[in-house]
Amino acid sequence: MMKKLFWLAAAAAFLLCVQVARVYAHHAFGAEFDPNRPVLLKGPVTRVEWINPHTWVHLEHVDDKGKKEIWMVEGGTPNSLLRRGLKRDSIKIGQVIIVDGYQSKDRTNRANGRDITLPDGQKFFMGSSGTGAPYDQPGKDQRKY
Amino acid sequence: MMKMKSPVAAAFLLFVSSLPGAGPRTSEGKPDFSGLYDIASLTPLVRPKALGDRLTLTDAEAEAVAKQEAALSAATNRASDPNRKAPPAGGDGSLGPAGNVGGYNSFWVDRGKGAFKIGGKWRTSILTDPADGQMPELTPLGKQLAAKSAVRGRPNRGDAFWITENLNPGPYDDPELRPLAERCLLAFGVSAGPPMLPVMYNNLKQIVQTKDRILILNEMVHDVRIIRMSAQHDPPEIRKWLGDSVGHWEGDTLVVDTTSFGDSLGLDRASRNLHVIERFTRLDDNTLSYKFTVDDPTIWTRPWSGEVAWPKTDQRLYEYACHEGNYSFTGILKGARMLEADALRKAGK
Repeated sequence: MMKKLFWLAAAAAFLLCVQVARVYAHHAFGAEFDPNRPVLLKGPVTRVEWINPHTWVHLEHVDDKGKKEIWMVEGGTPNSLLRRGLKRDSIKIGQVIIVDGYQSKDRTNRANGRDITLPDGQKFFMGSSGTGAPYDQPGKDQRKY
Repeated sequence: MMKMKSPVAAAFLLFVSSLPGAGPRTSEGKPDFSGLYDIASLTPLVRPKALGDRLTLTDAEAEAVAKQEAALSAATNRASDPNRKAPPAGGDGSLGPAGNVGGYNSFWVDRGKGAFKIGGKWRTSILTDPADGQMPELTPLGKQLAAKSAVRGRPNRGDAFWITENLNPGPYDDPELRPLAERCLLAFGVSAGPPMLPVMYNNLKQIVQTKDRILILNEMVHDVRIIRMSAQHDPPEIRKWLGDSVGHWEGDTLVVDTTSFGDSLGLDRASRNLHVIERFTRLDDNTLSYKFTVDDPTIWTRPWSGEVAWPKTDQRLYEYACHEGNYSFTGILKGARMLEADALRKAGK
């Protein structure tokens, strides 16, 4: 039992170290988005930009006063979409999504996609179950771990 | 295919290439490292302090690491409350690059599923020297520079602290003060290297090997390192973003020596006096060992070394045209200007 606890402690320490160490990404979201401007957006997808360094999903949101506005939500690198088996037409225009995040500091209608889900709460971007992506094919991924 | 001088030579080459772990060879008889590699791994550069001097994990520990990562991934993929509200005002407390506003769904992150193995043993850190797996001490100048760049890592409160605290220059004063990655230059720190180490995503490398040149293409930001074989270094007044790399073979090990960096480098903290030696060796048919030694006496009080496994992959490497839509950079700079205007208004200026 003690031994098992040690393994778990070692695993937790290890992963924490990775969280802190793997900070190399395109940019820190903290530089771009304002923690004092939280947003909850809901509406149909109007456009998807598959561009580097980050994907942007546009949606039509209706604000508290009933005014329609287009927001852009920042996702990750489109290379991840490809590797996880998504194609351009996997993301349907008109699909209603819910996004929570923070508005950009420049106060345009941009936010980070802190959590992007379908109306029932399921994640909009999921790992690629059943899509035939490399991740789904045991033995195809030559890493042995 | 080379022309065989004699059946004996052909038989010899056939024999050598059939040795366990020998892998394919070029027509010159050198190991042929050409191919695609995905170096994503959970093994961190610096060892968790709790593991002390231990370089390796037991199988059970490695399994626990992989299981915890899988559980974390499953948890973050679970459905959210469809009736959730906006996240808390003032920030969600997230640390690191998520900077108090959260990152994005884990779908986008590809940092590996477990630790990597060298010689059948799971590694606790990429660093192998110093033996405690920790970075060596910085020189006084190194400490001074580190303190200066720490301004960028200040917690994000959504205010222009550099105005209220009179910091000059402020971290957003000039586009060239921003990190290279934000500016789409070099591949997000240590991804382009040298040394080339795992990052959060897009960890693919492609090696293309000829007799005189060995090229390493990094997916991000499609940087290509061109290693000139058996060549002299360019004169030191010629400075390069990725340094000047020359290579030679020591038996079946490819040794790459890189100097002549400019003032902007992939390796965090390093200076233009950086000198990196890398050693590529085949571990088995599907894995290379990538060893490196970093020497920069301007920044660190002693050299440091490490090792990473480079597993082959059958995934595809995709284009990464970073300037294609780098909206975030203009957003970051414009956002800083607006926060500054707020701070000045508040101060009645």
